[in-house]
Amino acid sequence: MTDAAGGQHYGVGQVDEADVIYGEEKGPTKASQVGSKLTAWLWALPGVLWLLFFLVAPVVVIVIFSFFEVSLVGFEAWTWTTENYETIFSSSSTYVDTLISVIINAAIVTVVCLVIGYPVAYFLATKIRSQRLSIALFIVALAPFFTSALIRVVAWIPTMGRNGAVNEILTGIGIIDRPLSWLLFSDFAVIIALTQLLVLFMVTPIFFQLAAMDKSAIEAARDLGASQLKVFRHVILPLTRPGILIGSVFVFVLAMGDFATYRVIGGGRIGSIGVNIQNAVSQIQYPVAAAQAAVLVVVMAIGVTVLLRFAKLRERL
Amino acid sequence: MSPEGRERLSTVLLAAYYGLFLLFLYGPMIVMIILSLQDSRGGATFPARGLVDSFWYDDLGSASQAAVREAIGTSLVLAVVVGLVGGLLSLSLSMAYRRLGRFSTPLMYLVLLSLMTPGLLLSLGLLFWWDLLGLGTPELYPTVLGAQVVWALPFGFLVMLSIFNRYDESVEEAARDLGASAAETFFRVTLPIVWAGVFGATLFGFVLSWNEFERTLLIATTATLPIEIFSQLTTSVLRPSLYALGAITTVGTLVMVLVVTVITGLIVRRNTRAQARADAALAGTGLEEVTEAGSPAQPAPAG
Repeated sequence: MTDAAGGQHYGVGQVDEADVIYGEEKGPTKASQVGSKLTAWLWALPGVLWLLFFLVAPVVVIVIFSFFEVSLVGFEAWTWTTENYETIFSSSSTYVDTLISVIINAAIVTVVCLVIGYPVAYFLATKIRSQRLSIALFIVALAPFFTSALIRVVAWIPTMGRNGAVNEILTGIGIIDRPLSWLLFSDFAVIIALTQLLVLFMVTPIFFQLAAMDKSAIEAARDLGASQLKVFRHVILPLTRPGILIGSVFVFVLAMGDFATYRVIGGGRIGSIGVNIQNAVSQIQYPVAAAQAAVLVVVMAIGVTVLLRFAKLRERL
Repeated sequence: MSPEGRERLSTVLLAAYYGLFLLFLYGPMIVMIILSLQDSRGGATFPARGLVDSFWYDDLGSASQAAVREAIGTSLVLAVVVGLVGGLLSLSLSMAYRRLGRFSTPLMYLVLLSLMTPGLLLSLGLLFWWDLLGLGTPELYPTVLGAQVVWALPFGFLVMLSIFNRYDESVEEAARDLGASAAETFFRVTLPIVWAGVFGATLFGFVLSWNEFERTLLIATTATLPIEIFSQLTTSVLRPSLYALGAITTVGTLVMVLVVTVITGLIVRRNTRAQARADAALAGTGLEEVTEAGSPAQPAPAG
């Protein structure tokens, strides 16, 4: 995701080709080949085990837990029931409302990220002549991504509150008479804050794709008399479609799973799946929390499938 | 308007738009930093009172903020450990990635999966996983450490890939041909070339751990700094001391990201140049064809 991944377009493929050539045509003997494959697996082992134990297993365990029975100490392991799902989808539960509202917000955030982020990626990748400057400006936009998400959410309070910076400026220059109260603690606030947190997931894949694009296609189209708009619609946009898809999947899944933004500056009435999960955990209702979270796991799985199927993520990186 | 004029106009407009975009990203942080610089009369919102003063920064040292200082200590140590473990695992995963052939694709997906996992989902899963294994209450080490390293790995891994991407594999071949063992080759040839990447990955891990919140929330039995900040947010009135804390961590993080970027950029450039020199030297001697034909390569004359 840094300047880093910038060169990745070319590199990843090259390594593979080299492997194939060395393996099949020339290079080391069979024995040392087996040795080097074994070494490769040994190099992979610690990281792979770590990821299986601390990432894959916990996510799978959530789905398993969602079918356990609730008990006083939290759950009754290996006693199966679908009751948790019946509870959260029952008519007395607000879960479906929350789910719908979170899905709508995540969809809005995804579209807003695309609309806001695309011109940034386009500007950095095609309008800046010097590659080094373009990467430097990209890093300037990327850097806030690594700062604390919680602090960034908190920073919206003095920015968009009743006496916040935005209201002060708007009343100061006379655009509005009274401060706007819906800027904070609302769905609007959540959408703005999530866009700010996640927009780089959209900018990054599109930026790298545009940067790797063969500029001569654009020149050619332009020489043939195509307008800027036509060039964009028929040449540039189709080329960046995979980048848009990758960005959209990441933004949508992460916006749906958000906790801190909804908790700190959301409207509070409906909340989010994340907020629900935290509440259920604090009441030691583990299987209920698991059932609510299982929906997120399903969304995540769909996202991964979409990426595997359509985006060829690896070639784009 | 001429096509050139239109082109220039669109560049200027887009540049202005990029400026607005930066304002969107950095604006709230700047507001927070301004309000952190009030004096004792200052509150959580405007109007700002008594700028510029270090009152709320000094307040972080007061007795009432002991919990914050303790959390800072916890987070610092944790962040160093996450950085080191993350850096080493990024190195080993990237070493594997170069040689795994068709298995390198699933490996990359496994590493990148962490980017797409909502943070709260991970800490919820770890809470359950620990329970199911009968390991009792999750602890900072290894539970939180595990979660945070998972979060740091994709970034460290991508840093390492960008280093190896401009790395000339033939130096390893040459070392092996000259009789170096696998271990010697790694420690005396590979590592000296890529160590700065490992350092960059470590700094990334440090920064990501320091700022990590949702992956830690449900399994934090000892408060890290973000957990302490969250508990202050939910239990007491928002005060500028929290802005001061936010300002320090934000500026610190930005500086470290800058350092990582510069290091990665420099090493990639150095390796690209070394590669270009080697290519030029080979081209000059005609050794390239010999090498490709499969006979042992002579070390190319320097320069």
